[in-house]
Amino acid sequence: MRTDVAARPYAIAVGAVLAAEAALLVSNAWQYDWLRGYDAFANDQYAAILTEEHRLPSPGESGVWHTPPLWFALTGALRRAAIEHGWGPAQRPGQLLAAAAGLAVCVLVLLLARELWPGRHVLHVVALVLAASSPALVRASAMYHPETLAVALASGGALVAVHALRTRWRLWSSLGAGALLGLAGLTRAWALPVLVAVALAACLDAWCRRRWAPAAVVVVTSLVLVGPWLVNQQVAHGSALAFNRPAPEGSILSRRPASFYFGPRTLRALEHPVTPLFRNELVPHLYADWWGDWALTWDSPPPPAPGELLPSGVVAERARQAVIGLVPSGLALAGVLALSLLAVVRRSAALAVLPLTALAVAAAYTLFALRYPSTDGDTIKGTYLLMALPAATIGAAFVVDVLRPRGRGWAVVTAGGVVLLVAVQLPFLIL
Amino acid sequence: MTERRAARLGLVAALALVAAQLTVGAAWSLTHDDPTEFELMRGCLVREKGLQVEGATDDPVASSARGGALRTTVEGNLVTLSVATSRAEVERLRAAYSAAGDPGVRLDVRGRYLALWLRDPSPTQRQATYDCAY
Repeated sequence: MRTDVAARPYAIAVGAVLAAEAALLVSNAWQYDWLRGYDAFANDQYAAILTEEHRLPSPGESGVWHTPPLWFALTGALRRAAIEHGWGPAQRPGQLLAAAAGLAVCVLVLLLARELWPGRHVLHVVALVLAASSPALVRASAMYHPETLAVALASGGALVAVHALRTRWRLWSSLGAGALLGLAGLTRAWALPVLVAVALAACLDAWCRRRWAPAAVVVVTSLVLVGPWLVNQQVAHGSALAFNRPAPEGSILSRRPASFYFGPRTLRALEHPVTPLFRNELVPHLYADWWGDWALTWDSPPPPAPGELLPSGVVAERARQAVIGLVPSGLALAGVLALSLLAVVRRSAALAVLPLTALAVAAAYTLFALRYPSTDGDTIKGTYLLMALPAATIGAAFVVDVLRPRGRGWAVVTAGGVVLLVAVQLPFLIL
Repeated sequence: MTERRAARLGLVAALALVAAQLTVGAAWSLTHDDPTEFELMRGCLVREKGLQVEGATDDPVASSARGGALRTTVEGNLVTLSVATSRAEVERLRAAYSAAGDPGVRLDVRGRYLALWLRDPSPTQRQATYDCAY
């Protein structure tokens, strides 16, 4: 099934979306107060210690000591250059790095969609627009935080793997996929589920073709890069996946109340999606933070003290975001399920990469949230799931492209719906 | 399996999951009422501070507070507590209390909470009401 959008409007649409996204992300990173991002001060401490003292921080020196060091090394070098040249604040280059990585994620989503369905222009553009307008990506791209770089590297690894699985593994593609995924793992632990998903897809392909060398090269290359970090964590902190707090004793299933699993206050997420409502209720908490800003770290005053009033416009804007998110979220879920079905029925390892990625990230995140419960809900954040963004946006675009009625009129309707989705979000997305 | 069939099956499954989650939320909303700020304050004053509370029906200003109002005595000082639901309402209540003369420090406005004390409150009396502001 191929769509018949002419090449020129396609190129213009892609170019316009990427140019607008670049302007948005750079402008937001420039204006966003770096200290309002997640773990901002601890991130800066880590970067300073790594580049000035050439060592990893201890748990007493930075609350994010458990995070792999690649982003901190890059940001630390930028930070030092900014200080030497008198640019202020010294953390802004780190924010611009996050913005550049956010833009790279959008490009990689487009390339992944093109790789899986060449010629399906509507699918490509819809996937690109959904990724570019994803509030979790836009917010993370303004922060002084490693998340977007890790997502970009992992998505790059997935792209190389999908290309090889669709065509033929070569030495460079095995090395490239393994290196990108290893570097992603050296940036953020959330890349490890993506590494597992790609390795699994490569193994399924190897099983069918009776050719195991490419899968082995992918795994070995990534482990060469990320292995020393995991070994260091195991030796220094007792666990390769150590976190900044000990896990409670007892069964993992008894660490969260029933409300964590069922999300009884789900409807409040559409009406008042900010802290402290439905804190630690997994689905509504994550949903509200993905589409809005549950913890109030974006374009708003800090969370009010007890008894204080939050400006009504802040809640209304986030409630609008939550309602807007219903359709794309449903489409994303449908898309991931549809791609899973297609991959199984067609025995396609290339098609399986994205749904496997989404599944692995969701499973790893749920395990993490269960393992480390917190009273203030700080282990539930939409940005933690950004590794699943390519699967979610391409899946949603796939469903839209396959199920939309054919014809020029319906193409205009589809484009109008996508433009509307972006337009109503702009007041929230632009700082 | 065609792409269209896979997409349809995915859509049906996704709709079922979303509907299930919304059903849980709707069922909870129908059978539970989350306590309001006023109910939380009242419960705190009674349970945590050991105070006796009553309505403030004879205070027309407090009675008009959309979030609710009550009266209690903290360390021998009578206080009427009102809960507003917006900044505009806070200003309206403040203006209404000031219409008959400036109450000075007897009127303590903190966020959405207004406390009108019978006499100038001591720091510990104020703190008791602050502790029960949500």
